Amino acid sequence: MTNSEMTNPTPIEEPKTLATKLEPYVSFIGPMAMILAIGLFMAIAEPARYFRFSNINQILLDAALYMPMAMAMTFVITQRGIDLSIGSVAALSAIIMAFLIKQYGFPAPVAALIALSLGALMGLINGLVITKFKVPDLIGTLAMDLVYRGFALVIAKGLVLARFPDMVTEIGRGQALYFIPTPVVIGLITLAIGYYVLTSTHFGRYTIAIGSNPEASEMTGVDVDRHRIYAYVLMGTMAALAGIMLMGKLNAIQATSAPYFNLHVIAAVVVGGTSLFGGRASIIGSLAGVLLLSMMINALVTLRIEFFWQSVASGVVIIFSVALYTWLQKKDRDGSGGLSAILANPTNSKTFRLAVLIIGILIALLAIGAGFSGEVKPSG
Amino acid sequence: MNKQNQIADDKKPVVAMHGITKRFGGVVALDGVDLSAYAGEVLAIVGDNGAGKSTLIKILTGVYQPTQGQITLDGKPFVMGNHSDAIAAGIDAVYQNLAIADHLTPAENLFLGSELTSSLMGMTVLNNKRMKEEAARVLKDRLGVQLKSMDVATESLSGGQRQAVAIARAVRHDNLRVLVMDEPTAALGPQETARTLQLIKTLRDQGLIVIVISHSLDDVFEISDRIHVQRRGKCVGVVKTSETTNEEVLGMIVGAKQAA
Repeated sequence: MTNSEMTNPTPIEEPKTLATKLEPYVSFIGPMAMILAIGLFMAIAEPARYFRFSNINQILLDAALYMPMAMAMTFVITQRGIDLSIGSVAALSAIIMAFLIKQYGFPAPVAALIALSLGALMGLINGLVITKFKVPDLIGTLAMDLVYRGFALVIAKGLVLARFPDMVTEIGRGQALYFIPTPVVIGLITLAIGYYVLTSTHFGRYTIAIGSNPEASEMTGVDVDRHRIYAYVLMGTMAALAGIMLMGKLNAIQATSAPYFNLHVIAAVVVGGTSLFGGRASIIGSLAGVLLLSMMINALVTLRIEFFWQSVASGVVIIFSVALYTWLQKKDRDGSGGLSAILANPTNSKTFRLAVLIIGILIALLAIGAGFSGEVKPSG
Repeated sequence: MNKQNQIADDKKPVVAMHGITKRFGGVVALDGVDLSAYAGEVLAIVGDNGAGKSTLIKILTGVYQPTQGQITLDGKPFVMGNHSDAIAAGIDAVYQNLAIADHLTPAENLFLGSELTSSLMGMTVLNNKRMKEEAARVLKDRLGVQLKSMDVATESLSGGQRQAVAIARAVRHDNLRVLVMDEPTAALGPQETARTLQLIKTLRDQGLIVIVISHSLDDVFEISDRIHVQRRGKCVGVVKTSETTNEEVLGMIVGAKQAA
């Protein structure tokens, strides 16, 4: 048989369902739909205050802080990694920068570059801990989070460092182009660079390959450890940038600043469709995720809902978006059989019974407690 | 088919392994195995589990170094330190798990680890357009495979198409002379298997040596020119496919029969 006889075998039939057609856009459509939903809801609930120019400016200003970190975290998560230390990296590099400016009279631009380099160094340490010491990323960066936060506390004690040169506040809250805040410009530039790096450089390509199939990457000659370290260095640098932006925004910094950067950024990236299981990256999705979280938190403030509900809302959004993406991906492999089929499964029915038992005990205890309740005596 | 036999009789082997022994600690995985492969043939390596097939091809592809014995390429002794040396010499392998990153496109997989680049303002950046064109060309011209779209993730392709991508990665190197395939049809359905066997013949007709490890004697008899039978670390015989039967080979694999 000659070569020409076997060329052009009939293209293998690929079932093109709506789901497979939409698949590449899901990461973008998801958060966009949620952004629209929030916008729609607020347009009914509180249009005047929510869509006021100053409020939209505020939303963008809040979102901008997370954009550089979301970009870097997209790389880290795509490589099947995680970085929980970013809040401490941001705080520590900003505090050192503040000290350099306030105590030692360093010019602000030099101090800022030192802060970025320190962030890169901390990212490098994270990367080495994970790849060379073989400490799992979750534990490794959690422990380094304690280390960096500890150093920040050692250096700053309880001090609040405030009032910085104009350059710093310009980075944090300036208005670069008439109505667009400077941090938004910085954030969008980092995201644009991140998009280009992801699609057009070795680092970006290997980031996806490593997350998709680490063994295959190794076999084809990709230096897996080196490129994982690159991702953590990028993450550390962007965390330091966020630290500078935060310092400029508040015109103040202290050792306990930026406590929840890690979860907020991971949430934004995951909501944006970057897969926690690696290999699937969406920089645009991360931008949408950052905007979504900022809009949501701002909406809660606008609706005068107590501040503490923000934490509840953020957690619920994370769980729902991850569950949704997992479900979307699973559905095209094996069909699910609806609720009754799920409960018919013996393992699931046992879990269900456990849930009923726990709730039952709770109700019973509450009932017993209520039986004894009467006059409340002030304790002590 | 007669032509193939003559090639085996007349010509000198392109690559040959002489008296290869491999010990892992106290375990003798290979015991003085000879193997020779001639241009334009499909050589099948069969044998039971633990017969030493995988070890043998891992030595041929430079992944393992032999404890004793020698490999010759075009009659000259040839020592490999690692897999890259084998690739540089024109020997490559397609593994059973294909070593494919599912989230990358076929072109991105084809060039994974050796991307084509261009220069942009002094920076080295990936030349995605050229890689896509080149990948489509290799798939079509060398393997006769035309994918509906080059822009989808490789995970959305069928098993046979994914394998074609993995083969194309090896075939892309113009100096490729020996392609080793480990269980190429193990994970495929009947239609995909037929397509893959056809692909192997196509490569053979292009002058490549294809060395196939397979558990499926049906596949082996359909595509191979010669069959190398391994049993307990030794070669118990090399037979021409046209001159043997399924039963005879099976007998050699289980040790009931010894080839002359």
